[in-house]
Amino acid sequence: MKIFQIALGILAAIGGFVDIGDLVFNMAAGAAFGYQLLWVVVIGVVGIAVYSEMCGRVAAVSGKAVFDTVRERVGFKAGLVTLIAAQVVNLMTLAAEVGGVAICMRLLSGLPYRWLILVAIVALGIVVWVVSFDWIERIFGYGGLCLLVFAVAAVKLHPDWGAVAHGFVPHLNTEDSLLYVYFAVGLLGAAMTPYEVYFYSSGGVEERWTPKDLGLNKANAMIGYGLGGFLSFALMIVGGTLFLAQGIEPETLGTIALGAQVPLGEIGLLLALVGILFAVGGASIDTLFAGAYNLAQFLGWEWGRYRTNAGAPRFTVTWMVILVLALGIVMTGVDPVQLTEYAVIFSVVALPLTYLPILLVANDRSYMGRYVNGRLANTLGIVYFVIILAVALTAIPLMILTNVGQG
Amino acid sequence: MSEELDIALAILDHQLLDVEGRRCGNVDDLAIEGGPGEDARVIAILSGPGVWRNRGRLLGRFAGWVGGGGRVRVPWEEVAEVESHVRLRRKASEYGLGRGDDRLRPWIERIPGANR
Repeated sequence: MKIFQIALGILAAIGGFVDIGDLVFNMAAGAAFGYQLLWVVVIGVVGIAVYSEMCGRVAAVSGKAVFDTVRERVGFKAGLVTLIAAQVVNLMTLAAEVGGVAICMRLLSGLPYRWLILVAIVALGIVVWVVSFDWIERIFGYGGLCLLVFAVAAVKLHPDWGAVAHGFVPHLNTEDSLLYVYFAVGLLGAAMTPYEVYFYSSGGVEERWTPKDLGLNKANAMIGYGLGGFLSFALMIVGGTLFLAQGIEPETLGTIALGAQVPLGEIGLLLALVGILFAVGGASIDTLFAGAYNLAQFLGWEWGRYRTNAGAPRFTVTWMVILVLALGIVMTGVDPVQLTEYAVIFSVVALPLTYLPILLVANDRSYMGRYVNGRLANTLGIVYFVIILAVALTAIPLMILTNVGQG
Repeated sequence: MSEELDIALAILDHQLLDVEGRRCGNVDDLAIEGGPGEDARVIAILSGPGVWRNRGRLLGRFAGWVGGGGRVRVPWEEVAEVESHVRLRRKASEYGLGRGDDRLRPWIERIPGANR
């Protein structure tokens, strides 16, 4: 029974890993550079697994989620700056994901986009209001597994497997090195998006993890995110095989879904769209919760879906307000795919202030006792912190120099 | 410096829990007593937006203004336990903590399914 539960959790983590940022950046990186950037996805996936495991362990042992630790470790002032940055990036991401949901619904139904934005917002609000935390994770996680169609598509497209294997070896591209580095930064940002750790750690508290659940935490972080990364590989391989040769830049979610239609026909298209719908819908809810978690934790309010809606009133009102703000942004008609690119690049800048407090608390024996970071977690944690810092400093200049990846 | 002061400084910015385990604010500041040469002693925990202006200059002042400026003083004797959170001896409402949630609750409860 226990094994069964862990397996279900992992399945949900796989389906929940991919969001609109991963879809856009992996497919676009494939279309621009073939399989050359696969190694960056590996670095990103190991990074998010390391930090998720760490913040999940902190949540299980001390009952603290990420913004509790931010406030405690960097103090009120720097914490407030981090909070504002996190909330801005989070809102942009949510708006992009909601736009993605509406696009998928339009492609599936043919109804007008603006109406579908409204439908998407109302549907998300109802789901969050009515459905329990566990079931939200399950429904969207399992639905997202339809994205595995991209793995089948990747194989069906008969890529040059030798070239794919070569893509896993870290190397630089000398022809268009600036754009190459821009995509590398974007892929890291998409894999390590900060809302994932906000949501993951708060989810641990929602599910009332105790040190007994540390095995589950490790399995979710390592296997769930690891196999989720497998979906990212598939997307990039499809992009590289299908779009690079044709010189197509996948600028819409519809083009991304085409990646499954070309090798697999209508059924491929349908599965891809349903998969994207659930993956992006799930990510909408994750980002929505993340925004409300962050504010409530920073200010010490009662929070959590496990408290019932009326049990955590300010938390409930916060997610409602965030949902309305996102509606306003998407309704302006901004292109969700472009918004995604900006959200991912800006999120990279907010990463160091999110990850440093996690690393510090996971090393604090006074809370963590014998569950304090071991040597492996610390080595990886520090190496990744240095990577994140370097990437954060270069992200915005690169975005300007490459004209947001347009070359 | 007394041992009590060490503990107190370590709880700055930590979560406050009331006797029922309800989250009811943070330790936003501390009231400390004692002149030069004397033993410094913590006499109370301060919590609420009105305290933030001491913490974050312009940004803190602005946040405090947005938050409505309320502040609550909890005497140090009311602290039951300091672990990863700070646990108080009585219910939040008895200190005036968590009032924002208490004011909003009746409105939320009007919507069907509020207790799901």
